[in-house]
Amino acid sequence: MMEMTIHGRGGQGGVTLAKLIASAYFLRDKHVQAFGVYAAERSGAPVAAFVRIDDEEITNHNQVSTPDQVIVLDRTLVGPRVVSGLKPDGWLILNTPDPPESFAEQFPGRQVATVDATGIAVSHGLGTRTVPIVNTTMLGAIAKVLGLQLADVDGALELVHFGGANRVSAHEAFERVVAKKLAGKVKVGAERRAAAAGASLLDPDVGQFPRIRTGDWSTRRPERHQLTPPCNDGCPAGNDVRGFVQAVSKKDHDEALRIILQTSPLPGVCGRVCPAPCMEACNRREHDEAINVREIERYVADHGKWPAASKPSRDERILVIGSGPAGLSATYHLARLGYRVTLLEADKELGGVMRTGIPSYRLPRDVLDREISFILRHGVEARTGQRVNRQQLLDLSHEFAAIFVATGLQEARSLNLGRLSSDIVTQGIDFLDRVRRGEEYLTGQRVVVIGGGNTAMDAARSARRIGARSVHVLYRRTRAEMPAIAEEIDEALEEGIELSELVAPLRLHEDALGAVLTCQRMKLGEADESGRRRPVPIETEDAQFEVRCDRVILALGQSPDLSVFPEGAEVRDGQALLGLTGAPVFAGGDLATNDGTVTAAIGSGRRAAWHIHKTLTGEDLFPTARPEVAGPEHIHMHVFAHAPRERGVTVPPHVRRGSFTEVRLGLVDEPGHPAAVTEAGRCLSCGVCNECDRCLTYCPEGVMRFRGNGEYAFDYDYCKGCGICASQCPRGVVYMAEL
Amino acid sequence: MARELVTGNHAAGYTLARAGEANRHARGAVCGAYPITPQTEIIEVLRAFEFTKGRVVPVESEHSAMAVCMGGSLGGARAFTASSSNGLAYMTENVFAAGYYRLPIVMIGVNRTLGPPWNIWTDQGDTLALRDAPWLQFYTESHQDLVDTILVAFRVAEDRRVLLPALVAEDGFVVSHTQMIVDLPEQELVDRYLPPCEVPHRLHGKGVAVGGMTYPHETEIHRKEIQQAMDRVPEVLAEALDDFEKVFGRRPDAAVKAEYTEDADLVLVACNTMVRTLRRAVKRRRERGQRVGLVKLKMFRPFPRPQVLRALGSARRVGVLDRNHSPGSGGIFWTEIAATLRERPDILLQDYLIGLGGGDVTPELIDRVFDDLGARAAATEPIFQEVPV
Repeated sequence: MMEMTIHGRGGQGGVTLAKLIASAYFLRDKHVQAFGVYAAERSGAPVAAFVRIDDEEITNHNQVSTPDQVIVLDRTLVGPRVVSGLKPDGWLILNTPDPPESFAEQFPGRQVATVDATGIAVSHGLGTRTVPIVNTTMLGAIAKVLGLQLADVDGALELVHFGGANRVSAHEAFERVVAKKLAGKVKVGAERRAAAAGASLLDPDVGQFPRIRTGDWSTRRPERHQLTPPCNDGCPAGNDVRGFVQAVSKKDHDEALRIILQTSPLPGVCGRVCPAPCMEACNRREHDEAINVREIERYVADHGKWPAASKPSRDERILVIGSGPAGLSATYHLARLGYRVTLLEADKELGGVMRTGIPSYRLPRDVLDREISFILRHGVEARTGQRVNRQQLLDLSHEFAAIFVATGLQEARSLNLGRLSSDIVTQGIDFLDRVRRGEEYLTGQRVVVIGGGNTAMDAARSARRIGARSVHVLYRRTRAEMPAIAEEIDEALEEGIELSELVAPLRLHEDALGAVLTCQRMKLGEADESGRRRPVPIETEDAQFEVRCDRVILALGQSPDLSVFPEGAEVRDGQALLGLTGAPVFAGGDLATNDGTVTAAIGSGRRAAWHIHKTLTGEDLFPTARPEVAGPEHIHMHVFAHAPRERGVTVPPHVRRGSFTEVRLGLVDEPGHPAAVTEAGRCLSCGVCNECDRCLTYCPEGVMRFRGNGEYAFDYDYCKGCGICASQCPRGVVYMAEL
Repeated sequence: MARELVTGNHAAGYTLARAGEANRHARGAVCGAYPITPQTEIIEVLRAFEFTKGRVVPVESEHSAMAVCMGGSLGGARAFTASSSNGLAYMTENVFAAGYYRLPIVMIGVNRTLGPPWNIWTDQGDTLALRDAPWLQFYTESHQDLVDTILVAFRVAEDRRVLLPALVAEDGFVVSHTQMIVDLPEQELVDRYLPPCEVPHRLHGKGVAVGGMTYPHETEIHRKEIQQAMDRVPEVLAEALDDFEKVFGRRPDAAVKAEYTEDADLVLVACNTMVRTLRRAVKRRRERGQRVGLVKLKMFRPFPRPQVLRALGSARRVGVLDRNHSPGSGGIFWTEIAATLRERPDILLQDYLIGLGGGDVTPELIDRVFDDLGARAAATEPIFQEVPV
């Protein structure tokens, strides 16, 4: 009888190799037996398998202790244990790139055969470098050493339904195995003593279970980290979106407001007019719909308790020029840092474009006033009607410790439509300001609006509200490229605004019946540097058409007025202007970034405050690098039930068309249905522990403990590294680290 | 017949499937299936088998697996399942019920140590814990013995004179996960060997309740009838073995198999794969002129007292290899044999608890038992014959 022992690690296929060897001899009409020693099956644990081959029926069912051949699948297992009991003329067949001679000292007098089965297996795509599957490759080497033929190898592989790369690898090993009898004499006694040195697992206490720290078994262990939620990553204002949404889900609206006010003083504004890039980034979109963050923020601003304002605690005086969102944000954050801030505004009222450019049906004045007055309560001195020119700026730079300029975009882009008539062609931003002041009426008129941004939508919808018979928006790209907030486009269309995509205005002329705008049909060409596809004219005869109109409103964007700065000054977000003799002057908001959203301006203003603070004190308030963003791949969506988004209440189109009262009423609670709390409850809390306890609940070993404040501890003495906690964490906080 | 190199579990699953398929022209096959190490491959083989009539029902527990078998059998189907260790323990309530309902279900018990402490290796304690259930119990020594005994078990269990469920045990891992060469019976032969399954009290037509309340005297009669059915097993088994030989051309071992006992002074009694290792040791000692023998105990329920008495009657010293432990008593086979030998105080009977928890029973260890049995002056309480680590 020939007996073999195979040493390997769980997952390497040792038991299957035993079957393959047995199969080769089975096909030669031998009696065979193949079996493994099974234990707690886990990848990487040392395991053994055995083969018996005989001409007679095999009746032994015990393990092999004095093998005729020993096979080792893993180089790291080659040690005293594997050779113990091996008969002196037996083969030691090892998976290693080293030649047999390299074992001369370790196994003197032994017959050793080596083959780089791992290298061969990996080169033929059997498993990976970390988990190579070497059994079929080793079969080839073993066959060669034991005097079998390639036909035996093929027969065995076929019997077990292996082919392809397994066969090629086995053949390669058959050719490449190197077998050699090492010099010296086998020292059986010394080998046995070395093998016996291993310690027993058993507890000496009679009747007691062996006390095993099962954590010793693990090859990996669970750890926790917090990731950056994609909403937080996407918020230009730097809000902790996840934080305030989770607070709302716990019905703590005051805490939610406190969290927002850490970063933004204008939650009621953003909760109405923000294009909400956080919602674009929301992982829940992969599941059903993004969390309605904008409406939740609005709800928090309208329902949370506004805290008391702090008062200045420093002597330094700082000047902020411009009271739009960037100026207000900088003012607020500087004031909270204790500075005495003076805020200058050219207009009669504070708020900048939020007051002059955004119609009240989108942003009611009382909301804007509430938030501005909260900012001013921080000991801010505000002066309106104060336009600053270049010389005044220089003078003021000697009065203040620092100056922040955030005057926005004042110059509206124009378009040459030929013979211009100021009665007919109006700039959208001016139009909106006049509408606000009650100076515009369009009763019965036909209005054409040119542009695709929020100003175009605001102008079109305002025109409708002041009596226009028809409102027609022309945009040279398609709706998908329009910069306006998607909901605003929807609402405009609901209100009867007509939208013509891929149309550009060419020229305007007047005839007896009024104005005629000639338009050009466009198509989308190659992408430009912004990534959007460039519109190009269609060259056919019928690609031009005429539109009759009484008014044309241009909403083509604005550019900054830089005349306040010294000649040649380079304006960059958050950086002090160079070449001035007085206090450092910073610029921010649209003036510096041309970003065009309230949210981005809030972020810009906050960064300016930090820059100023760092320049004056040296203290760095900028956050350190954020951890990795939690993407959909970190989230186990299947854990979450599908739930429709809470959409909030909107005034019906036929009612709102004629009114400047607010169109959207936000999330409205109903008895038994708290809309905002429900909506916030849909938040997945991506990458941040919200104490859902799934890890603890599902831990089959009971080795997790809740420590409070979002902290959990693992008892690594008894954690086997099964990974169930990580697989059950829905939000990517628990992960498995290799040991 | 197909000679194949397969695991014991593969062979068992295959044979159960063929037995179930053989009932396709009657009321089909039903298997309630729940996996547990080391039985799982049996369930995998069964699940992969496409029955012409019948199905494998995956359930949420062993308790339900047996409930499905009972439902299937009460519906007239050929019903079977397999389990191990703590799974059998959990199934126990319905194991008893299946027998008391007189349902000819066949179950493979893949012997595994009952935990805790957790242990997956072979030990007969799990199936022997069902000792007092109204089931036939067979212990098999090899892959082939397992395959053949499963078919025999269906024949005996379904016989109108018996109508009791049967458990066929195999050693966990040593058989279940070991690749050996087996003759796997073809469907045609199984069809010839197993007649359509008839459950005379199967439910059909109007709904009725079975197993309702009975008074003590009725229960007494019920128990007595089960004993009478058990008493008829030897004659039914003998017929089943005769027929097996006619169909398959080989004869599985009977309830008790005595080897070299006629002139033996020392006899060891064993079951499962220990028999084969013991057989080898006996042959070697015989070669050296020693008068030793062995008794393979294949059927445990009903306990074959006359055959055991006959097999051991001429020995002077008898040792029992018990791979099980009844705390406070000793080996379970030993107590049965002691009761059998109650009128033979002249025979020295010694119990050896050996290979508990799956300990590796080597030829050397059996030699040590023989040496002890031959040398000792008198029997003692059961000896823990520990396996050297």
